[in-house]
Amino acid sequence: MSRDATAGVLERLGAVELGVWQVPLGLLAVAVLLRPVVSHDLMLGYPQVATSFLIWMIIVASFNLLMGYTGLISFGHAMFMGIGTYSVAIALSSFAVPFLVAAPLGILLSAGVAYLVGRLIAHKGEIYFAMLTLAFAKSAHFVANYNPGGLTGGTTGLADGTMPAWIETSRGFTYVALGGFRIDWYWAVAAVFVVGMLLLWQLVRSPFGRTLVAVRENEALARAMGVDVRRYKVWAFTFAAAFAALGGVLLEINNQGATLSELSIVTSGNIIIMAVLGGANYFFGPLAGVFVWMFVEEYLADFHTLVLPLTEVPLARIELAGVLVYWQFFLGLLFVVAVLVSPREGILGLLKTVLGRLSARIRGESE
Amino acid sequence: MSDDADPRSAALGTEGLSKHFGGIVAVDEVDLAVESGELRAIIGPNGAGKTTLFNVVTHALAPTSGSVYLDGEDVTDVPQERRPHLGLARSFQSNELFAELSVLENVRVIAQTAADGTFSFSLLGDGRAVRADEARDILARVGLSEHAETEAKNLSHGDQRRLGIAMAIATEPSVLLLDEPTSGMGPGESRETVELVQSLQDDLGLTVLMIEHDMEIVLSVSDRITVLNRGSVLATGTPDEIQGDDDVQDAYLGGVREEL
Repeated sequence: MSRDATAGVLERLGAVELGVWQVPLGLLAVAVLLRPVVSHDLMLGYPQVATSFLIWMIIVASFNLLMGYTGLISFGHAMFMGIGTYSVAIALSSFAVPFLVAAPLGILLSAGVAYLVGRLIAHKGEIYFAMLTLAFAKSAHFVANYNPGGLTGGTTGLADGTMPAWIETSRGFTYVALGGFRIDWYWAVAAVFVVGMLLLWQLVRSPFGRTLVAVRENEALARAMGVDVRRYKVWAFTFAAAFAALGGVLLEINNQGATLSELSIVTSGNIIIMAVLGGANYFFGPLAGVFVWMFVEEYLADFHTLVLPLTEVPLARIELAGVLVYWQFFLGLLFVVAVLVSPREGILGLLKTVLGRLSARIRGESE
Repeated sequence: MSDDADPRSAALGTEGLSKHFGGIVAVDEVDLAVESGELRAIIGPNGAGKTTLFNVVTHALAPTSGSVYLDGEDVTDVPQERRPHLGLARSFQSNELFAELSVLENVRVIAQTAADGTFSFSLLGDGRAVRADEARDILARVGLSEHAETEAKNLSHGDQRRLGIAMAIATEPSVLLLDEPTSGMGPGESRETVELVQSLQDDLGLTVLMIEHDMEIVLSVSDRITVLNRGSVLATGTPDEIQGDDDVQDAYLGGVREEL
């Protein structure tokens, strides 16, 4: 393709006015394309993990409602996800409550805890708020570990009797069996993903969400201009917890139970890193962050030998398995670079800048 | 000389208003009675407590003692975020902005707040469309229409000062506190800004309190002037009265003249 033609295509792409449909279509595209892309031979080559990708995208996006849109940094977000996971696991294993009853209750419980915690700490300064979320998350982990009344299963977590009857598994795949027919678990999650993310998107574009952004930008100014900053923060915290718990209840089925890692500080830390890595400034940033993080985790864990050159006749074979098991180290390095370059832009911001420059250059040279 | 009027019947009044920081008295027993529609200049040397007075009047800082009245109502204990909804707005000495948002969005989100109150579960619809027309009107008033889509942090200093005034106007105030609206501006731009303040005052029927350093501006536009020195009111009066006041000459104007 000539330069002129390329520029023409880029211009036409830019001229497509998606407007308000941009985000809904983008979410739909992610839900539909993620599994085929991930399971392609050049990518991972197997589809099972795609479901986890979607669930974690909901969880990290819920965190970004706090970090990206309200300017609140919580070090304990996994707690609100874990409350969802454990609520469902306990309800199923100990009380035989149906999943479809337990899941909304788990989400409400998580939101309720967040509301109370938020009322206590939302007005504290950034550092103190972060430390207090850490403290609450740590105590939730302690309680689950202590196994009160045998409900939480302590260090082993909950596995027995934690699956609803309508979930079937065979040969590594999970299905939702409804009446006579069954659908793939991925598509059930994809439906929840699209609906949940649309709700979250409406939240950030609403008048309420725009006020959150004003609070993020300049809290003192917002207060001076008539905004009850504390109440907005409390409700942002509450909504974020509800969406995290939505991811958490899906995780319960996906992981076949609840484990302590769902409440751990390390998980909270990973959530922060994924959000920053993807780009906290963007609604799709957390999605990009989850994709990169989890893809690298899966890909590098299976990557043993680098064959050079990448052709039929290899000249050199480099054994990398011993190095690449430390995939988190490499992602950590990438995280450090992302924060140093621009803490709120992440991979998505970088991509946008590069594409913008590219199209400007092509256009400029074709004039 | 002092305010003869009763602070409890003024548009904005204070009675014995004080602010102490530990042993330091920043605002000392200040009585003010600003009449409706008045343009009151607050002058005084650096450290006289002018900005602290604004902070205490708006409850950005809680007063140590004394009372604040708005239209005859005691608002001393009303929290800061409630006050714009009672008609008391302010601009800041430094350029306080929602830096990464567009100029239009800076004003619009405040206009939305003015309509919705201190908190509202407005979860439906597109936030950017709420009160956008009103925000555009305000931008036109202060001459920022062409910068509506510019990120606020990329405005020139003077335009950022004007945006500060636009944001205060968006709260739909009856009493407007302006903290050095012309700071950092050249003489021409200062004059324009003061004319803007005067036209806003006339059109919207505002009561204005303005901290200002430029004596030429102060003497030409103020209805009355309050001189602060070391936290307390040294004198209040018309420009003529203030110019003729010996205490003021000694403490403030004289000092300036000697420097010149």
